[in-house]
Amino acid sequence: MTEIDVKQKVLAANAAAAAGLRETFARTGTLVVNLISSPGSGKTTLLEKTVAALKGSLSLGGLEGDIATERDAERLRKMGIPARQILTGGSCHLDARQVERALADEGGRLSNLDILFIENVGNLICPTGYDLGEDFKIVLLSVTEGEDKPFKYPAIFSKAAVTVVTKIDLLPYVPFDLVAVREQVATLAPDGRLVEVSATSGAGMDAWLSLLTDALAKKRAEIPAAGVAS
Amino acid sequence: MHEMGVAAEVRRIARQSVADRGPGRITCVRLAVGDLAAIEPELLKYAWEALVEGTPEAGATLEVDWRPATQTCRICGDLPGRAPGTWLRLCPRCDGVLSVTGGDDLDVLQVVFEEEDPVEREAQGGER
Ligand SMILES: [Zn+2]
Repeated sequence: MTEIDVKQKVLAANAAAAAGLRETFARTGTLVVNLISSPGSGKTTLLEKTVAALKGSLSLGGLEGDIATERDAERLRKMGIPARQILTGGSCHLDARQVERALADEGGRLSNLDILFIENVGNLICPTGYDLGEDFKIVLLSVTEGEDKPFKYPAIFSKAAVTVVTKIDLLPYVPFDLVAVREQVATLAPDGRLVEVSATSGAGMDAWLSLLTDALAKKRAEIPAAGVAS
Repeated sequence: MHEMGVAAEVRRIARQSVADRGPGRITCVRLAVGDLAAIEPELLKYAWEALVEGTPEAGATLEVDWRPATQTCRICGDLPGRAPGTWLRLCPRCDGVLSVTGGDDLDVLQVVFEEEDPVEREAQGGER
């Protein structure tokens, strides 16, 4: 009997793949955002409106993590941008190697963009621990889900650089304490940003869009070669 | 239920670490799991058992070393004995913001490997 010391991080292979992706996107100057939320929080609708607003001036693409259907990628392709579905076959999160394979299959169509949106599997827990080589994680919380979510799922709300409260047009009809959510998010992510939007009415969309374009500009400025690479 | 994915990754790492050892079998894998790793040790063990059933690792046990996170209040100081998992970054006494250290471990520490005894193999008529 031999005891073999291994001392290896279980997620090391994921971390290595994520580092590779981050390097690729540093070269292309692509801003990569990883969107995480419960099912039905309005991720795809927000993306549709975002694409409608930005596709005239920026090249955009989407990677859609889903357990079994092609539906979300189809919705983005209908908006006129390249999108690929990653079917996880039951798994509750995307991992960096799946992203790597999907990008390779698309042959550069999704890796040479201004902004790549990665829509993770709808789930506030499992995607939190998996680095996908993104610039930052965004967590979405719709007003129909209840205001206790940040403290119930603190990991994602403290890791996300941006919290997007969605469906604020429904605020008059649901008991949702926006002030309480602002306080919880400020506690969990003191350096994080919070935006409140309604993709339906358009309220707050300007703040959301400029958050994205500012982040892209910042990334381009930090990587001097990136702007001229493409 | 990402415990199944984690179990599969643990097996991949374990197999890799014994790849150059010749014939034999893995009998135990020791893991460190932190408070904040979002892993339920019992679920992980079930996932492991389901995963290795009918494979060369069948019967190999998974041992989990639990690694708690330490939480310190900037006002009250150390908060010993907080229940695992209650890691909301707020002090239960003064509502101050806590600093949290450790607890993010998710590591394969050790693999126990049972070398195949050539004499015994001979006696069993070259089984396996
Ligand atoms: Zn305190």
